[in-house]
Amino acid sequence: MQEFLQQIVSGIASGGIFASLALALVLIYNAMGLVNFAQGEMAMLATFIAFTLVDHGVSYWIAFPVTLVVAFAGGILVQRIVIRPVERAPILTLVIVTLGLATLVNGVAGFIFGYVPRSFPSPFSAQTVNLLGAFVSYRDLGVIGVSTVVLLLIYLLLQRTTIGLTMRAAAHHPEASRLLGVHVSWMLALGWGLASAVGAVSGIMVAPILLLEPNMMQTIIIYAFAAAVLGGIESPLGAVVGGLIVGVTVNLAGAYIPFVGGDLQLAVALAIIIAVLVIKPNGLFGRPSVRRV
Amino acid sequence: MSALLELEDVRCGYGPTSVLHGVSLAVPEGGIVSLLGANGAGKTTTLRAITGGLRWLGEIRFAGRSLRRMHTEDIVGVGIAHVPEGRGILTELTVDENLKLGAHRRKDGATAVRKDYDRVFEYFPVLRERRNLSASTLSGGEQQMLAIARAMLMQPRLMLLDEPSLGLAPLVVRSIFEIIRTFNQADHVAVLLVEQNARLALEMSTDAYVLEVGRVAVKGASAELKGNESVRRSYLGY
Repeated sequence: MQEFLQQIVSGIASGGIFASLALALVLIYNAMGLVNFAQGEMAMLATFIAFTLVDHGVSYWIAFPVTLVVAFAGGILVQRIVIRPVERAPILTLVIVTLGLATLVNGVAGFIFGYVPRSFPSPFSAQTVNLLGAFVSYRDLGVIGVSTVVLLLIYLLLQRTTIGLTMRAAAHHPEASRLLGVHVSWMLALGWGLASAVGAVSGIMVAPILLLEPNMMQTIIIYAFAAAVLGGIESPLGAVVGGLIVGVTVNLAGAYIPFVGGDLQLAVALAIIIAVLVIKPNGLFGRPSVRRV
Repeated sequence: MSALLELEDVRCGYGPTSVLHGVSLAVPEGGIVSLLGANGAGKTTTLRAITGGLRWLGEIRFAGRSLRRMHTEDIVGVGIAHVPEGRGILTELTVDENLKLGAHRRKDGATAVRKDYDRVFEYFPVLRERRNLSASTLSGGEQQMLAIARAMLMQPRLMLLDEPSLGLAPLVVRSIFEIIRTFNQADHVAVLLVEQNARLALEMSTDAYVLEVGRVAVKGASAELKGNESVRRSYLGY
């Protein structure tokens, strides 16, 4: 029982990481009906920026927000420079562009920082604390705390502020929003900036666990896809719930299903993706897509 | 006095298909002008050209200033509220959020906005009741009311209405038109009204233009057009 609880808590911690990256995917999917395959790589690059700052003696809690600001600006730049010229192109073109971007960012990171895995500091100690009979590490609790705060802030921004309202409006009805004076193109850029910053959180949270190297996010992005699809790809809340479910499921499967172990956890995520697409394609929180023919 | 909105020999179209072949019209400050005509005559296209929805040749001036090359969101910012074909309701959002979007560019302070909210809710009490519901739950008539209320909150000098009567019960149409007239008189807001229902539009407006395949075929005072048997028969179909 005690071990089970521990597995659940550490599942929730990984779930928070998946949820952040899944939320980044959802933000961009909502804005342009596009899955950004470069989201993980952008998060990885941001994590390298945080690493460089910390490496130069900057305190972790300063490096963290600074990195988010840089990631935010970087996301806006990517939208303006890379995405905007092909905004109206067919969806497949856009997908290929984001795939190309992923390769490019990966290569640039490798070129600058090399492929040697580096240990990334965690501000939380690896010691455990007894919580309701389960031994939970401060590191897991810290990850849960940070993800919760970030997700809450995004929620408040989108639901409670005027800028969030105009972002949602621009994402769903660009034409009608323009007629209400919403600068749709800038709202899309803002969406990319926000997604990039949220993604960076997942990168910074996962780096102490996985070791930082250019391919670090390539498995995480699969979990994030699973989370986003499970949540219904267009629902921010769905991304969070999906992230938690994927995190806990994968963790429990790794611990209790003998042949899964540590090696087949990714396969569990893929199984979740396939199961959702077969059984409930709109996910937990998605609306059925209606198309006029 | 020069008009609030002036179109001079406006030509435009979609890709290679030309729709407007030189439309000229004027809407005076505080006036109500109808734009009539059959399906495909170019009424909606005219409105879209005014708010920058497509590129045009000729000249469009609002309050003496050319709207050439201006983006839709900036044209809206200078005081034109466009209630588009299909109403442009953001169905993913609540009624209140739709209204908020109408007012979000205003700079005259929260008190003034709140006062206008109260007025709008007085015009359309049903919107107050449904404030926190998703806009997708509204009936067609209520959605039209929401679209017009939202346009009112933009505090425009000119309102473009694209077929506000479409698909609505006659009684609902009557009451909506009454409210538009009240608003026009109270706030001195000009209205350019596109309508299929020519009889109703001519009752509302002071002047009218009839479009026929992208050209102004007839123009004049609404009362005159209404009384002119041959115009009524050949262009207005009643």
